[in-house]
Amino acid sequence: MDDVVSHTEVTPGETGAGTNAGDGLLQRQSLARKYATEAGKVEMHGRLLAFQVSEDEIVELCDGLYRQHQLPLKIITAFDERHESGFFRIMYIFGLPDEEAFLAPYILVEAAFPSLTPKLHEASIYERKIKSFFGLEPRGHPNPRPLILHENWPKGIFPLRKDFDWNTRPAEARGVFQFRKLGGEGIYEIPVGPVHAGIIEPGHFRFSVAGEEILLLEPRLGYSHKGSEKLFETLALPDKLKLAERISGDSSFSHALAFCLALEDLCGATVPERVDYLRVVFCELERLANHLGDIGAIMTDAGYNFGGAACGRLRETVMRMNEALTGSRFLRGAAWPGGSGINPAAESIRDARAAIAPLETDFSEVMTVAEQSGSLMSRLKNAGILSPAIARDHGVRGIAAKAVGLGADARADHPYAAYRKLKVNAVTEKQGDVFARFRVRIREVHQSAELLRKALDFLVGDEKAQDKPCADASPLAPAFRKNSFAAGVVEGWRGAIVYLVATDSHGAISRVDVRDPSFLNWTALGYAGQENMVPDFPLINKSFNLSYSGNDL
Amino acid sequence: MTAARLTLWIVQIMLVPLLSPFFIGFTRRIKARLQNRAGATSFQPYRDMWKLLHKDEVISEDASWLFRAAPYLIFATTLVIGASIPMLSTALTNSFTGDFLVVVYLVALGTFFLALAGIDAGGGFGGFGSSREMLVAALAEGGLVLSLLTLALASRTTNLIAIAGNIGSVPLAGYAPVALAFISFFIAMLAETSRYPFDNPATHLELTMIHEAMILEYSGKRLALMEWAAANKYLIFLALGANLFFPRGIAGTLEAGPVMLALLVLLLKVGLFSAVIAVIESSIAKLRIFRLPDLLFTSFVLSVIALGLVS
Repeated sequence: MDDVVSHTEVTPGETGAGTNAGDGLLQRQSLARKYATEAGKVEMHGRLLAFQVSEDEIVELCDGLYRQHQLPLKIITAFDERHESGFFRIMYIFGLPDEEAFLAPYILVEAAFPSLTPKLHEASIYERKIKSFFGLEPRGHPNPRPLILHENWPKGIFPLRKDFDWNTRPAEARGVFQFRKLGGEGIYEIPVGPVHAGIIEPGHFRFSVAGEEILLLEPRLGYSHKGSEKLFETLALPDKLKLAERISGDSSFSHALAFCLALEDLCGATVPERVDYLRVVFCELERLANHLGDIGAIMTDAGYNFGGAACGRLRETVMRMNEALTGSRFLRGAAWPGGSGINPAAESIRDARAAIAPLETDFSEVMTVAEQSGSLMSRLKNAGILSPAIARDHGVRGIAAKAVGLGADARADHPYAAYRKLKVNAVTEKQGDVFARFRVRIREVHQSAELLRKALDFLVGDEKAQDKPCADASPLAPAFRKNSFAAGVVEGWRGAIVYLVATDSHGAISRVDVRDPSFLNWTALGYAGQENMVPDFPLINKSFNLSYSGNDL
Repeated sequence: MTAARLTLWIVQIMLVPLLSPFFIGFTRRIKARLQNRAGATSFQPYRDMWKLLHKDEVISEDASWLFRAAPYLIFATTLVIGASIPMLSTALTNSFTGDFLVVVYLVALGTFFLALAGIDAGGGFGGFGSSREMLVAALAEGGLVLSLLTLALASRTTNLIAIAGNIGSVPLAGYAPVALAFISFFIAMLAETSRYPFDNPATHLELTMIHEAMILEYSGKRLALMEWAAANKYLIFLALGANLFFPRGIAGTLEAGPVMLALLVLLLKVGLFSAVIAVIESSIAKLRIFRLPDLLFTSFVLSVIALGLVS
């Protein structure tokens, strides 16, 4: 895999025309040609190959990339470049799994763009977001309702346009949102949220119910919209990094790391091997803590208190390991572009290594008891089944996708950090029910434990390098490529997190688009809930455990 | 003798409301310990109720008199039932409300008003809470009535206090139907008191609730009364289970000594029942809602078999 394009390749300096040493450049250009016949000049942005396509061709081209070449769609995003080129740029980022590169056809538009949705349903939600935040009309989109911004947001104000100041406070619009209505005898609606009885994030769910059966479920989000993408454009670089850590608090490290990977690609930085292994350790600790917490929470929500209490305890031991290693229970400050924000002491690394085995044994013992509980299994099995077709069409990521047998995992497909050396195979289950998502988590706990053992072994063996500074405490002042783009993809515990970072003609970061896997998975949750009983919904919801904050941005 | 009778009546009427919050707290405490948590003291429910009694209420503007009156009605039914069941002494007969059918349908009356109050405020949660409660209550009734009828036939009286006095003298061969009736009663009891595997008294998930969904609209003093009435109902069922099926220890006279001993034994027995419920709630998952009828049907069938054996 990494013999084709090494990740350490550096393409510093100006825009476009790559400065790679011969081979890599040729390879990449031929790659772009292979996928994009008659594509014009291919612009090289580090690992991202961009080329302009005309508006008329884009739908067909993307459809071909998606279906014929089976390239995974990573993100569709827009840039307001009217002050520089007079156009909006809409970029479609596809992954090239075997090349550690991204293919990025783009179009330049003024007010509207052709919608991919009729052909490629996964594009739907990205296009709705572009419409809401940039005011560009997706022509031919079957459901162009606004997203995230609520009816109280005035029409005609688009916050991600450059002429919108981040601290503008628009007047209240007091519009009315129409939920989908179901008629018929005995059908009633249950409105739930956005304020809930438990301490959880805000989200509204509208159930149309006959008796106890859910006929229609519409999640409505956006209550925790904070203007994060706009903030990324205004904050200083170290604060941008802090913001990335706070996009979705339980994925602090993964989000910050995805941002760092994009930044490193933008300035052609490489990181020492030790940092690569530290990153794996932090990623897997984050996964371990969240999976243990979720496995316990799923059992608690099914009313199986023994398992809930035991896994809550196990999660806490991981959180304390985090604290011992980094000083932060949520690994804040650990991700740093070009290095590691924290260089744990040799002793705490040895302690962490020693703690893995007892933790895994403890977990196995708890799960042995839990999986023998008939009452628990009967609650988990066959509840909230997500069909593979729905999952594929909506581009579902992460745990929910693995549970229907779609085995995408960024650690395997776009390996970063030391995952290039530590082989990872995506865990998959088939049933797509709550139990399958539960099982994916259980198996990933064991997988994480194994990865942690390997990575920590390396770090313990690498103690001589311990004293070498791998954190650059000085303020960040890297030179980014100008007018350029870079993508960072990290497999967070929920699924793949994508960051797309763009720079302007001065080399300053002009736009950061964040795609948490929750953004795609929320729509699928509505489908998984249908035809289930109302009292099973909290359990189904917990088995997805999506981020509100990461979706609402 | 009348003085002793009067004193004991006063004690009996006060016993249920005074002790009931403790057993709610005690059950929670044991559950906490079983889950590696320290847990609050068993007296916490008294503090919670005291706090609620001093709080203001918010009542939905859509609520009618039913919503306002229901807590008093429901609390009152638990007081009457508390005075109608064998607690300390079988010498204290109650021929007005002591009949088992009166007790069962007083429970049903409380449930009826509880369900109405749940619907009354017009919230979505109250509506499905009430609907589920009626499903469970209707199906639990069979097992409850028939298991008590089994005891009535075995002891040749329908007065609950008299049953507690007579059931101890049932010949050994008669214990098989009593044992079956007990299992049937126990299942119905879990349903009536909103415990596992029917309902989860500790959940914060609105969509899964039954009892908690019905009282979701209540606050302040009326919420305190509702919680208190639910605690009373819990103790009533525990005491019924303890004294009807395991009558050993209950006093046969009005003398202070045996009555004090009976109180002690009652506390022990009810504490043991609470512990059993706490163990159940810590070790199994809650049932899916449409599996509940299966379990209640089991209770019904067991009581029918018990009835067949006894008559």
